[in-house]
Amino acid sequence: MTSLAALGKRAAPVFACIGLLAAWQVASLALKNDSFPTAIEAIRAIPDILGDKEALNNILASLRRMAVGFGIAVSVSIPLGLLMGRSRAVAAFFNPLLMVIYPVPKAALMPIIMLWLGVGDITKTLVIFLGVSLPVIYHSFEGAKAVEEKMLWSGAAMGLSPAQRLVRIVLPAALPEILTGCRTGLVLALITMITSEMIARQSGAGNILFNALDMGQYDTVFAMIIIVGAMGICLDAMFERVRARLVRWSEPQFDMPLSFS
Amino acid sequence: MKVVPSRSSGWVRPVTPQKPASAIIEIESVSQVFQTSARKDHVALSDISLAIEEGAFVSILGPSGCGKSTLLYVVGGFVSPTSGSAKIRGRTITGPGPDRGPVFQEFALFPWKTVLGNVMYGPRQQGVRTTEAEAQSRALIEMVGLKGYEDFYPKELSGGMKQRVALARTLAYHPEVLLMDEPFGALDAHTRTRLQNDLLNIWERDRKTVLFVTHSVDEAVFLSDKVVMMSKSPGRIREVIDIDLPRPRRRSELLLDPRYQKYVVDIERMFDEVDETGSRS
Repeated sequence: MTSLAALGKRAAPVFACIGLLAAWQVASLALKNDSFPTAIEAIRAIPDILGDKEALNNILASLRRMAVGFGIAVSVSIPLGLLMGRSRAVAAFFNPLLMVIYPVPKAALMPIIMLWLGVGDITKTLVIFLGVSLPVIYHSFEGAKAVEEKMLWSGAAMGLSPAQRLVRIVLPAALPEILTGCRTGLVLALITMITSEMIARQSGAGNILFNALDMGQYDTVFAMIIIVGAMGICLDAMFERVRARLVRWSEPQFDMPLSFS
Repeated sequence: MKVVPSRSSGWVRPVTPQKPASAIIEIESVSQVFQTSARKDHVALSDISLAIEEGAFVSILGPSGCGKSTLLYVVGGFVSPTSGSAKIRGRTITGPGPDRGPVFQEFALFPWKTVLGNVMYGPRQQGVRTTEAEAQSRALIEMVGLKGYEDFYPKELSGGMKQRVALARTLAYHPEVLLMDEPFGALDAHTRTRLQNDLLNIWERDRKTVLFVTHSVDEAVFLSDKVVMMSKSPGRIREVIDIDLPRPRRRSELLLDPRYQKYVVDIERMFDEVDETGSRS
């Protein structure tokens, strides 16, 4: 009985995907609109894109920019967020700045950045960096703020210096919260990656998508949407596996094989 | 040292700074004032002086809000007093250090470390080699009754077990003084009793100096050599009571002992007096 329920739980996402594709197929056939290809047509266009060397290079270049932007953002934002969470002075300095930047769509800054830095990799990576930074800073900040004072005192009594406490107590204690921010950041990296390529049309996955749109190749447009969506799902799943492994100690108790009260 | 007869009985001493030659901790005119939002200062501790002898088990007893935990934090170096000073072996305390090991009501374990990882943390920080630290830690874990739980994470343990780990973690780096801040306050009555017994057993082996904050009269009398009774608003020392009961103490014998009963009854009466403002817990 439980294994059947478990099986159903596992199969549910597959059914959801099949259901979505089926609804798409039916809607497309019913509307008979040139700009809305059927699901089967879109799926058929996928191998063509992935088989094309230039397209593949474009997609890989996108992923590279995304990885670099995400990597730099995380390595700057986590220390900054943790410092803000533990030092009132640091928080008082950065909070107003972040409050101003937070509601601004990062893509809206692109034209200016393009003027300064051109339409190349640097501009796009910078936009991805900005998009990823804020949720990671915010969650690191909240995580660091919530660290129990007594835990830090215990560390201090063992002889840990303030810097050591930040790295060896605040960082691991806030890790579940930090990784939640990183997960949001990863999805935002994908979104800003596509939007940056949509504005600075030179290369990348977003460029393929919008070129196809200009040329009326709607099956390619939808195929690209599926590819980008699949990339998102894969990246998120990979991240989730890493995350679950890193914070196994903090997951709710019923997920663990051992428990007693 | 002069002993003045008191109202109730002969064992109450005057509240003057006592400085026996063997004092390991000296608290000298410590006051602690917190600024509250209402522009009114809250005096948590008012001119506290106290000397704690090496190897003594001293409880600080008082109603909630009397500043007893704050006094412990001053000795721990976690809080700097507004005025006055605390000293350990004649040196003024300016911050936390491994010579004073805290055990908190909230356990404050490192949740990302296993039981063994938590207990080994202090020794490793002190530069003890991994193999040695592990051997010592395993022995300590066994001593606090948690053999077999070395690889468990804190969230998998009950409150009583967590506090056992916290005690082992603190004992692992050999502090000269244990600072226990209502360590059993969050536990149910049964677990609490068991931990009191076990703490006493462990303590009676090496007689480390213990400063133990509690609001339980039974607990204070059962464990201590000396009970420091505090009154609140502002936090002052009301009485220092020597608990002259034989050791090793056994609960079953002690509960039937009229001397123990008298201590409990007298101190409870005193507790009611200092807690006249009403917010008894």
